[in-house]
Amino acid sequence: MKDVMGLIFTGENDIHLGELTSLRAVAALPIAGRYRVIDFQLSSMVHTGIKNVGVITQKNYQSLMDHIGSGREWDLHGKQGLTILPPFLTRENMGVYAGLLDALNSNRNFLRLSTQEYIVVTNSHTVYNADFSEAIQQHIDTGADITLVYSKSLKSTDTENATYISVDENKTVTGMEIGPMVPTREGAFMKIYIAKRELLRQLVEQAAANGLHDFDRDIVQRAINDGTLKICGYEYTDLAAQIDSIQSYFNFNMSLQNDEVRRQLFPAERPVYTKVRDDMPARYNNEGKSSNSLVGNGCIIEGTVINSVLFRGVKVAKGAVVKNSIVMQDAQIQEGAEIDHCILDKQSVIRRNGRLIAPAAYPIVIAKNVVI
Amino acid sequence: MRKKQCVAMLLAGGQGSRLGILTKNVAKPAVPYGGKYRIIDFPLSNCTNSGIDVVGVLTQYRPLELNAYIGSGSPWDLDLSNGGVYVLPPYHSGKTGEWYKGTANAIYQNIPFIAQWDPEYVLVLSGDHIYKMDYNAMLQSHIANGADLTIAVREVPWAEAPRFGILNTDEHNQITEFEEKPKHPKSNKASMGVYIFTWSKMRKYLEQDELNPNSENDFGKNIIPDMLADNQKLFTYTFDGYWKDVGTIESLWEANMDLLEMPMPIDLYDARWRIYARNPGMPPHYVAEGAKVVNSLITEGCEVRGVVNHSVLFAGVTVETGAEITDAVIMPGAVIERGAVVRRAIVGENAHICAGAVVGEETGLIAVVGPKAEIASGDKVAAGVQIDADAQ
Repeated sequence: MKDVMGLIFTGENDIHLGELTSLRAVAALPIAGRYRVIDFQLSSMVHTGIKNVGVITQKNYQSLMDHIGSGREWDLHGKQGLTILPPFLTRENMGVYAGLLDALNSNRNFLRLSTQEYIVVTNSHTVYNADFSEAIQQHIDTGADITLVYSKSLKSTDTENATYISVDENKTVTGMEIGPMVPTREGAFMKIYIAKRELLRQLVEQAAANGLHDFDRDIVQRAINDGTLKICGYEYTDLAAQIDSIQSYFNFNMSLQNDEVRRQLFPAERPVYTKVRDDMPARYNNEGKSSNSLVGNGCIIEGTVINSVLFRGVKVAKGAVVKNSIVMQDAQIQEGAEIDHCILDKQSVIRRNGRLIAPAAYPIVIAKNVVI
Repeated sequence: MRKKQCVAMLLAGGQGSRLGILTKNVAKPAVPYGGKYRIIDFPLSNCTNSGIDVVGVLTQYRPLELNAYIGSGSPWDLDLSNGGVYVLPPYHSGKTGEWYKGTANAIYQNIPFIAQWDPEYVLVLSGDHIYKMDYNAMLQSHIANGADLTIAVREVPWAEAPRFGILNTDEHNQITEFEEKPKHPKSNKASMGVYIFTWSKMRKYLEQDELNPNSENDFGKNIIPDMLADNQKLFTYTFDGYWKDVGTIESLWEANMDLLEMPMPIDLYDARWRIYARNPGMPPHYVAEGAKVVNSLITEGCEVRGVVNHSVLFAGVTVETGAEITDAVIMPGAVIERGAVVRRAIVGENAHICAGAVVGEETGLIAVVGPKAEIASGDKVAAGVQIDADAQ
């Protein structure tokens, strides 16, 4: 799929992720023991054969830029490669995007100067390992103006922004509801849009000229209701997960203990690329023990790890117990300390003999660099 | 190409036949080590960390896997506009052209490559040792001594000295004599095969050596003795860190086991001297409920359901329920099926040990299962035996 470009919008609402996204965009949130959320969208684009990817950043994008760099790890350091599109101030642009439509309009030059016929636009908080080729082919075959990728199994906890569509047997979208109290349509929209680049640009410029701000409501939903555009749906049947709250973040990481989830998310033919850290392999000593857990390189396991996800470079000291927890990179659980149902952000430290036991329904988040 | 003070030349053309089946289809520097590395990662990372950013890698024997591994050099930050890593196979030029005849001849044939950079000094390395060394410190010593050639040495136990190339020096570390495997050593300074030459002198001696039809075109046998005979200034530079020759099955196995010592004799966590490697891009390793991992190194992409004791598992290794691995090195992508037992062994890349098979014994020589070989259910591989996939 050479004639396709990609665009990742990372400015979505992240209020339900609390402390985890207070200093970073959702896109830069560490996930699955060694990745950041955006690795999944970026790698999917690369596996589709896309060579020109723009990443629209909003707030807190320093850690995201540090992570993506030149795009080399994703083989996106070529002539077009990866373009980071930070917000900027102009007479019309306040530097803070009101939503996807606003962001696309502010970056319409990037759309105009790209040369590909088609564009895939994604959000940055839906995790999947996809090859979009089939969806793009369906888009071409159905003659759709916009194709929305949806899943029947995707669950959202952020109900205000969850969007559902219904699709008929000709793949045509017959209705869309945004943030319903009780959804009546079964297709959970994954916020993946496929369109011709030029059409998208025109729609965006026209909508902006009319003072509109919301891509889904003002362009897509309106077009579905009045039939001015042909909007189709492509059903994605593989695994997808929404990272839109602390609970969904916790559950997703824990779901990786399931063999089938790992197989679907990390197939050998579609590796998920990420920034390389050059850690040595994880090391267990005589007393180290792990069970039903994922452990990244560079970890030193001298204590006990059960039902947990450990990122790269985590130290679990002698006699320490890590249970049902997510421990981000370079965090330390010192001698005799015990944690259960905790999310430890990067470089946090649980001191000797400390105990942090949270209820299963409400995992505790320990912020980056905090020492307890 | 802009001038460089020092250019490194890495001799990676040897077969490494003492590694048997492990180097049947790949060059020795491409042999996996330490769970995620290949031997060549050590000299390449040492170069980057020492600030040497032109590295010529001289290949000759089975270079394909090594070439693919080096690629653009980006894992070692050696993909540069002015500099970087260059794979240098022997080539044909007009009527001449031949294989590399010896270590010195390999460099001789690449004089035009070195001359492009107009360097003052040339560092010569080999691709068969595990060590972390600051070549820049050695270069500074070479410059301070006003040397023509500096040879890195280790002080080995006297009893072992007869196994090495030994350098006898005066009190200022100036070399007075070179003895290859002396029966009665006068010194315990053993050559590490790491040389820094002053380029003008090196070029002169390489060209002179090439004219001698009786020469073996070898640094140790010809160039060093010639320079000594001419009273050139040769110095030793003593290196006292961890250094391991991994040229044999037993030593490769031992070097892997060394990483399981506490504390590790070679610190691979050292953030100031990282050893870089190409990354296979796999998820964190998974240890299932009921699995047991003791005193081992486990790399990303592994799935462990059995028992792993005092072993090194490379990326993407699968250990099924009831399998038992002890004192073993399991290279990338290998599968150890249910109930199989592996002891004192090296299992090659993508090898497959079927259910209930037994590889290696509790004592004796290391058993080796070659890359891609399959050990059938119930089969036994005795100590010291090597299994070749092509012979199956």
